[in-house]
Amino acid sequence: MDLVNAAPFMAALALFAISTGVGMIQVVKIIQIREAKHELKYGSAGFLRSVGGWSIVIIWFAAVWFLATIIGDWGATGDLAGAWARGQLRLRILLEILAALAESD
Amino acid sequence: MPGTSPPSAAPPGITQSALQCPKCAGQSVFDPAEGGLTCQSCGYVRDLSHPDDADARVEYGYDPNAPEEEPATRPTELEHQCVTCGGRVIFTGQQLSEDCPYCEGSVVISQPVNGYDTMALIPFFTQERTAQGNAQRWAKSRVAAPSDLAEKVAPARVAGLYAPFWTFDSREAVSYWAKYTTGSGDNKRTHNVSGAMNISFDDLLVPASPHVTPLIRDGILHEFQPYKLRSYRAGYLAGFAAERHHMSVSEGLRSNRKDKDLLIRNRIKGHINRSRVHSIRYRTDTSGIHYRRILLPVWILHYTYRNKPYKIVVSGINGRTYGERPFSMWKLAGYSALISGAVIGFGLLWGAAGWL
Repeated sequence: MDLVNAAPFMAALALFAISTGVGMIQVVKIIQIREAKHELKYGSAGFLRSVGGWSIVIIWFAAVWFLATIIGDWGATGDLAGAWARGQLRLRILLEILAALAESD
Repeated sequence: MPGTSPPSAAPPGITQSALQCPKCAGQSVFDPAEGGLTCQSCGYVRDLSHPDDADARVEYGYDPNAPEEEPATRPTELEHQCVTCGGRVIFTGQQLSEDCPYCEGSVVISQPVNGYDTMALIPFFTQERTAQGNAQRWAKSRVAAPSDLAEKVAPARVAGLYAPFWTFDSREAVSYWAKYTTGSGDNKRTHNVSGAMNISFDDLLVPASPHVTPLIRDGILHEFQPYKLRSYRAGYLAGFAAERHHMSVSEGLRSNRKDKDLLIRNRIKGHINRSRVHSIRYRTDTSGIHYRRILLPVWILHYTYRNKPYKIVVSGINGRTYGERPFSMWKLAGYSALISGAVIGFGLLWGAAGWL
């Protein structure tokens, strides 16, 4: 594997490492939401506080997915600039969805 | 069932001698299994129920514009104060422990401070053994907890405590103004919405002690059944620690302000019945405030993990359990890696396929 072909693979590995580190906070949030749904009184103030802020988990998923699509495109075509340009429309749609979700949180 | 004014005199207390067994003069404690004051020597059980128990459900009116008339009193029992968290507890009968039931710090006898008489309480129904088992099971069933958590919790013991709570009723005439968003991109529109609604809060439970957090309340007290309230009698406290009420009604209402604000905002969202509601403002006219000062039974188990204190609380009414817990960094990293791997794999395939 030459250096150019290895670059997308290395980028995917770096994304995996960063996402794993950052995602630990989101996993705590997922567990808190799960525990709230199972153990806290439904509709109580504690319940509302615990389940609130779930959009941060979706933002994590979306950001990691978006960067992975760029790397996937880059790996398949070998054209990073083209992959980034093709990802712009995807990014716009994603930001619209995230803005709507954040407003619902 | 509103009353006119709160009890002005101290509730019927019982002296230390009244805790003595009439058969053998042994010391009696309240036994949740028997539901009565039980002699520790001969096992003789005395029923604590009283004809005035039905009055325990009475709620008292509160007018925020009128001065409070409820008199503060000093406890007849010795009060113990924790040197660590400052919590004040009383032990009816013999002193049960030299440790604070809230934080396990040392307690010392202190000068009693003024407090407010308890109007009613719900006695312990859950036995110590059940509470101990529930707390251990709760710790064992935590996702992403350290592997040795159950082992750390195992030697810890539950302590029974009557914690002070309020129940508040109120009627809220709410006027609100909010915004909601529809569409996306060029079609994104923000709409103004306003309306009015009435909300009734009935028996909203509010911790009257800083040691019981609203989150723990919502974990262990899912339903409040006023028919379980009993008139305050010190015999119910025999064998347990108890904390007196130290907050005035206005302080109690203030301490509940954040929770009530959250609940009203949530009701407004439901009333608007649209997604993407934001920028909520509201004005409320509160009337019909009624309250009770009550004691509720809890079992508290303390444990430390990596020098950090945690507690698990079990309801003394029905055994429902909730608490504080540590996380295992390695397990969190493992779960995060699994999710990251799945999301990245999906994204790589998506990008490689050239989809939008």
